[in-house]
Amino acid sequence: MLSQELGEPVLTVSGLWFSYPDRPNVLKDISLKVMPGERVGLIGPNGAGKTTLFLGLCGVLKPSTGEIVVLGKPVVNGDFRPEVALVFQNPDDQLFCPSVWDDVAFGPQNTGLSKDEVEARVKKALSIVAGSELADRPVHHLSEGEKRIISIAGVLAMRPQLVIYDEPSANLDIRSRRRLIRLLQASKETILVASHDLELVLEVCNRVVLMDKGSIIADGNPREVMGDDRLMEAHGQEKPHSLVPHQIPHRHSK
Amino acid sequence: MKLRIDEYSNLDSPFHRWDARHKLIGLMALIFAFSFVRDLRMLLAMVVVTVIIYIISKLPVSFLLRRLRYPSFFLLAVVLTLPFLSGQTIIMSIGSLDLRQEGLLAALLIATRFLSILTIGLVLFSTTPFLTNIKAMRALGLPAIMADMALLAFRYLQEIGQDLQRMQTSMRLRGLRKRRLSIRGLRILAWLSGSILVRSYEQSEWVYKAMILRGYGHAPHPRGEFHTHSRDVIALCVILTIAAGFIGGDILLGHGSAALLQ
Repeated sequence: MLSQELGEPVLTVSGLWFSYPDRPNVLKDISLKVMPGERVGLIGPNGAGKTTLFLGLCGVLKPSTGEIVVLGKPVVNGDFRPEVALVFQNPDDQLFCPSVWDDVAFGPQNTGLSKDEVEARVKKALSIVAGSELADRPVHHLSEGEKRIISIAGVLAMRPQLVIYDEPSANLDIRSRRRLIRLLQASKETILVASHDLELVLEVCNRVVLMDKGSIIADGNPREVMGDDRLMEAHGQEKPHSLVPHQIPHRHSK
Repeated sequence: MKLRIDEYSNLDSPFHRWDARHKLIGLMALIFAFSFVRDLRMLLAMVVVTVIIYIISKLPVSFLLRRLRYPSFFLLAVVLTLPFLSGQTIIMSIGSLDLRQEGLLAALLIATRFLSILTIGLVLFSTTPFLTNIKAMRALGLPAIMADMALLAFRYLQEIGQDLQRMQTSMRLRGLRKRRLSIRGLRILAWLSGSILVRSYEQSEWVYKAMILRGYGHAPHPRGEFHTHSRDVIALCVILTIAAGFIGGDILLGHGSAALLQ
């Protein structure tokens, strides 16, 4: 909290390199700073290193070299940092408790809170994602959209200050996607969103980072970065539809 | 694939209302008592107690019959072989096969114990949601890691079943037909099994990461909230008395019939 009050970065990544045993240099010299309240979109082709970067930021993977500092404290591999939360791409990887209530309560229970505090956190998190009516449902009875919002509730219940979303709109129908966008737009935390859904990134984020082959290629205003045809195409992307000048205007029914 | 062991856990009966911890202790004690019985004179009482418990639980008979279907194959093997292979006293000859008294009595004892224990076990696990049973075990001292493993198994068996179904559908849509046992069929089965195993292993790695990121192992997990009422204790005392009666009765009767079985 103190770092945020003083205007210090929530996240500082310096000279990060990472290799898997069978894949060298998945991340190459990544340096990044994220300030409090920023909504950063991370775009890039498959294999660019986005998920690997996220796992490093959370302390799940240990970098080969480099440093990651979150809220003024270096990230140590294996440490539990409830102030940083990751929403996985596949909600089934994250929803491992049999019931919704148990899953959302899982994180707060691991921080040693009292039963009443856990209950309050679960209720609050479920209400934020508009999922209160799902509390008693078995997880395997949820639809994809419901699983997504409950997986978000599960991390929000820990009251993180930095929330990382890995492909949050994958497999969602239009209604669920819109619900997710509204949720992300209303969130008070600093967020990082990796997504191939460039329209979502445009709607939600105020900064975008383009990655490719383990390196950061561009970092800046979403409209400027994603509006650059050559840049986007050179790195396996396309300009989002809403940034394409329209030859034929949209007709809206009255 | 759906785990349906607790599909009737939403009914209303004295067993459904019984506190899960007390029910676990009481019915497990009864199961142990049944397994202790060796005197054939106790078998009728065992059957009567089992039937009464099942009736009180209000579980459908069809549910019991469905659940007994596969275990019955094992029982059938015992019942069909033991009377012809065990014992000295021949009571009847069928062709070249001799029906022996000791083997017949042993088969009767095994079958009755098996069916009674299985029925009581069904009542135990079908009158309480699976999750509540795990929490009750944890409250009674089951190591947290074993409880967590049971919960994760319950959760992800559904996923594995769905994955398997999807893969089988995909195979059918690409022309695979059920054939008699063949080398190719076995190979395909091996591929399918291997794929499921690899996927499950990879998913387990992701699940573990998700658990660690939400603090698993960081603080002791709270025990489940259970409340004891006087009726729970009374029911436990009744069942424990019955269990003690079976053990005591079997000892008092001096394993009379057991001597015949040796």
